Amino acid sequence: MHVRARRALLAGMAALAAMLAGCATQTAALLEKTPEDLPARVELEATPFFAQERYQCGPAALAETLAAAGVGATPDDLVPQVYVPAREGSLQPEMLAAARRNGTFAMTIPPRLDALLAEVAAGHPVLVLQNLSLQWFPIWHYAVVVGYDLPRGDIVLRSGTTRRMAMSMSTFEHTWMRSGGWAMVTLRPGHLPRTAEEQTAVAAAVAFERANGAAASRRVYSAAAQRWPQNLPLLLGVGGSAYAAGDRAAAVEAFSRAAALQPDSAPALNNLAFALNAVGRREEARATAQKALLLGGPWQDAVRDTLRAIDELPPR
Amino acid sequence: MKHLTRLFVFILTFSVTALGVIQPAQAALIGAGDVVAAASGQENRAHIAAMLERPAVQAKLQELGIGADDAKARVAALTDDEAAALANKIDSLPAGGDGVIGALIFIFLVLLVTDILGLTKVFPFTRSVRR
Repeated sequence: MHVRARRALLAGMAALAAMLAGCATQTAALLEKTPEDLPARVELEATPFFAQERYQCGPAALAETLAAAGVGATPDDLVPQVYVPAREGSLQPEMLAAARRNGTFAMTIPPRLDALLAEVAAGHPVLVLQNLSLQWFPIWHYAVVVGYDLPRGDIVLRSGTTRRMAMSMSTFEHTWMRSGGWAMVTLRPGHLPRTAEEQTAVAAAVAFERANGAAASRRVYSAAAQRWPQNLPLLLGVGGSAYAAGDRAAAVEAFSRAAALQPDSAPALNNLAFALNAVGRREEARATAQKALLLGGPWQDAVRDTLRAIDELPPR
Repeated sequence: MKHLTRLFVFILTFSVTALGVIQPAQAALIGAGDVVAAASGQENRAHIAAMLERPAVQAKLQELGIGADDAKARVAALTDDEAAALANKIDSLPAGGDGVIGALIFIFLVLLVTDILGLTKVFPFTRSVRR
């Protein structure tokens, strides 16, 4: 009787489990066939730990990844930047924004377990959002993935008040996928996530510039433009940040590349004309600006201002 | 008195001259952000900034415990997509934080079972059977 009852309970639990969550398919695939460039186990032991205060896992987790990028912010410093008292938590866009305000290059990575492990293997602790509970009764939680152990099937986290939490990879996959697999890294300017996607990286570089100013964004744009040399906004960023930092020759060089890449881009031609004028190559500047003027479109006012500056103000 | 008058004339002359030097429009570089924003056609940040000025929104922020200046600084550091997400979802975005308030005993039991099965990790004391 007891045995039968236990069997019935186990069967019920199994049915419930199947109904609620399905299988941890990514874990199974990874454990069965590990990508060749992925080490079997990694642990970023130097990642610091801040035990979270009540509900404040967001500021604590952020302080941990920021410290790994060399920024000495404490969770208390970060609370006014990310914490929403009435929601007893922190919103993901604000986690990214706060990381930028503290001078790191922050962006999300693809929501896949292999991407997550690749970042950890590259030495980047990953800040993840988990739903520790089920869809219909969510318990949201931020934690930092600092390691993994494929032979044991574990993920190692800095989580809540636990300095080193080894969680089964399949459990982690369930809890992480229930947040949509949301994950971000915070890196020193000039470093990029190994798994970065182009459009996300461009948006993140622009957001970094908005938070830290053009001159401070040189390394961010250079690193991104090196990986995606055909990207026009990135080349404009390289030129603009070089100019803001006082390196006009580098600005001319970057805008020339942008204009060569897209000869029908008014912003590229406008900026090239502006930079050429600034280095005293006035005739080339005028010819370039006139080419931009012929293109028409929404940038005409900016181009006219540049042309007027070339005609009226002698280069200093 | 004469000195004062002379000083006044000097200040007035200086101000008028300084005003005359200012150009009506300033030539400038077009930023990467301008190009990205134009390409995607999104002006969400301006939209949110305008929203933040509304009294009803400021009252709501106050209710959430966020100062108006803090809110503006936060918005300034968002990407366009993030600003769009925030604009749409400020009430429904998952906010990380582990508050379990008013959990029913039924929920507690279900989660205990799913913890043990390794589908969830709510309770610190459970150990999953899937190792």
